[in-house]
Amino acid sequence: MFYKVLDGVKIIEYGNFISAPFCAKILADLGAEVIKIEEPCCGDESRRQAPFLQDIPGLENSGLFQYLNMNKLGVTLNPESATGLKIFTELLRSADVFVENNPPKQMKKLKLAYTKAKKINPHIIMTSITPFGQTGPYRDYESCELVSAHIGGVGYISMREGDISKEPIKLPAHLFSFQAGLSAAVATLSSIFRQSTTGLGEQLDVSEQESVIQNLNSSIARYSYAGQIMARTDAAGHAPFHILPCKDGFICAAFVEEAEWRRFVEVMGHPEWADNELFKDFALRAKYWDALKPLMVEWTMQFTEEEIYRRSQEKAVPLGAVRSAHQVLQDKQMAARQFFVEIERDGSKLTFPGVPYRFSEIKMESPSAAPLLGQHNEEIYCGRLGYHKRDLAKFKEASVI
Amino acid sequence: MSTPSLKGIRVIAFTWVWAGPWMGGVLADMGAEVIKVETKQRLDSQRVVKITKNPEQGPNQGQFNVTNRGVKSITLNLKQPKGLEIIKKLVKISDVIITNFAPRALPGWGLGYDTLKQIKPDIILVTLPAFGSTGPDKDYLSYGSTLEAVGGLSASFGYPGEVPVISGPYPSDPIGSMYGLVGVLAALNYRQRTGKGQHVDIAQNEGVTSLIPEVIMEEVMNGRTRPRMGNRDEIMAPHGCYPCKGRDKWVAIAVGTNDKWKALCHVMGNPDWAKDEKFSDQYARWQNQDELNKLIAGWTKDFTHYEVMQKLQKAGVAAGPSFNIEELVNDPPVKNRGIFIEQNHRVAGKTIVYRSPWKSALTAKNPPAPCLGENNDYVFKELLGINDKEIADLIETKVIY
Repeated sequence: MFYKVLDGVKIIEYGNFISAPFCAKILADLGAEVIKIEEPCCGDESRRQAPFLQDIPGLENSGLFQYLNMNKLGVTLNPESATGLKIFTELLRSADVFVENNPPKQMKKLKLAYTKAKKINPHIIMTSITPFGQTGPYRDYESCELVSAHIGGVGYISMREGDISKEPIKLPAHLFSFQAGLSAAVATLSSIFRQSTTGLGEQLDVSEQESVIQNLNSSIARYSYAGQIMARTDAAGHAPFHILPCKDGFICAAFVEEAEWRRFVEVMGHPEWADNELFKDFALRAKYWDALKPLMVEWTMQFTEEEIYRRSQEKAVPLGAVRSAHQVLQDKQMAARQFFVEIERDGSKLTFPGVPYRFSEIKMESPSAAPLLGQHNEEIYCGRLGYHKRDLAKFKEASVI
Repeated sequence: MSTPSLKGIRVIAFTWVWAGPWMGGVLADMGAEVIKVETKQRLDSQRVVKITKNPEQGPNQGQFNVTNRGVKSITLNLKQPKGLEIIKKLVKISDVIITNFAPRALPGWGLGYDTLKQIKPDIILVTLPAFGSTGPDKDYLSYGSTLEAVGGLSASFGYPGEVPVISGPYPSDPIGSMYGLVGVLAALNYRQRTGKGQHVDIAQNEGVTSLIPEVIMEEVMNGRTRPRMGNRDEIMAPHGCYPCKGRDKWVAIAVGTNDKWKALCHVMGNPDWAKDEKFSDQYARWQNQDELNKLIAGWTKDFTHYEVMQKLQKAGVAAGPSFNIEELVNDPPVKNRGIFIEQNHRVAGKTIVYRSPWKSALTAKNPPAPCLGENNDYVFKELLGINDKEIADLIETKVIY
């Protein structure tokens, strides 16, 4: 946990890979108790996803898994077996929230869909995250982050310099699965607030495609009011709105107000460009970008990212340095806010991204490492549910845990 | 009982552009009363972006109407002592204050957290500046594209082997909104348990970084910068976007296992090239994906993106069109889910908006985004009990402005 906010809230996570684990991580970071249920054979899929520490694959070596599952308790359980389902039911009975991201068909088959969960525990909040939601013709379609990004409409408007006939691309890593998990956490937190006064639960049906759609506010406004269909274009008739090379990397010069451009030409030492007929407003600069770009690049190439970033910001120009992960890890602003955290395991410490919020009334605490596969079986099954240690051995033999 | 979760919670919003307003829109979906404080002295830039075919529309257009749906608007000049006095009265009867203005804005008006706390001891203040309210770069300026650059996202975004590009959809804004909402809802839960309010400060750049742990952990664990990969995956191949029949039409296809590969081959009619050793296992396909992608494109180009999706989904292979906004809004399964809502805005006319990215039976039914100062009477007369004569004076002296 980072902050003891949701003290006493109990969460069961039956999630895989990113969306549901990230939703539950956000709640765990806020002090809720999260019991993560994994398949006994091989655990969460993200355990098999790079990056691995020193490039050595292994269930306990994935940086992605460790990030997503810090601050949680972990058990293994197979609810396909009758005994497994019985144990699952016992866990749900004492929980407040049930977070999952499995195909609706599978949850129904396992007898763990909302209609069943509600019978087990009438006060449960069940947060289900799926590619297309629990209803509608796409509900059983196969998807993954790539497909969600494109079918949610962000790929089609990905920017492109030069040749716009190339294919639409998506943002890096698994950004939109993370965003879906984040959105699901927001929905769940509002429901926890209501549950704490009314004792009532509900079903929250989170769609990854719809989570992607919330990135389209400019697209939808243009379509709604002007009938325009946004596509991959070079800066959308607006310049500078570009990433430009500099001495040691790249900078992002994307301005919205003319005053920002006028301040920037001062920074570049070319105030006369503000009065140049060809460059005097955003539309003209876009039209004559081929002439303007080399002039700007001639200047940017003389300086480092950091120099251009600092000089611009000192003059209130909202320019950004295009930072590599290495540079992000060295960032003084983030360091001053203690964003990065260290987590110890097996005597060695690893740095992870922390959380972007700070609470004035609550002290920030150190997070705990993600659970090893089945690490808390004994604690939960014996300590909480009252099974004997010899039951655990039998469960293991029967592949229940 | 289907009362929305935040029924009875009053929120004052000092918000503009996107990240702040979308917090307000979602809080309104949750049933909160959100009062946005505006002034003609400096309008929300999204009120005046020229996305319209109707010149009469004035400050009632564009993205503003998408993100501020369900919110109330008052006009008040806080630089006037009387304006400040009125806002303090409103603080007294409110629960939460949200803002995405620069960190100096609220304290500049005399509305820093310490003052707010004196007016209303359990007030919750959630600030959402670009880089947080503390640290050496706290006053730095940004837009979504800058945050992506500084947060480490842009460096990994682009076509394989090419330069980084600006994203286009700017997910850093709605990511900021969602983290802001985590702050609001966590603090409301905490206040419910302890009676204490607080200041929650969120750094949007940290929010971006926290959603790309693969990029950060690759550097931490192996000292490597994640390359720009376009649509590509670390493991899967094929994993890309392929051309279809029609102008600028594309379909995303992702294959993660040998079974799915066989299913794809079967749908393609088991072409001879697919039997080549170069594509015989997942690693081989990943190694030879350039060639593989060209061959798959040779098959997809004869079908529409819908046809490819349907053929592949029937065989259990993840596939979906790279939708443009018109296709997305009019797609029957998307319509069936009700994510897009068509509203009739008093001035702007037909307006398409989207609800929060989840389905909950408790979502409030909200009116379109407000016109400037639309709720002045309700707030100043009904809530604060200011009489007609005083109101006339306040308008005359440009306090209500």
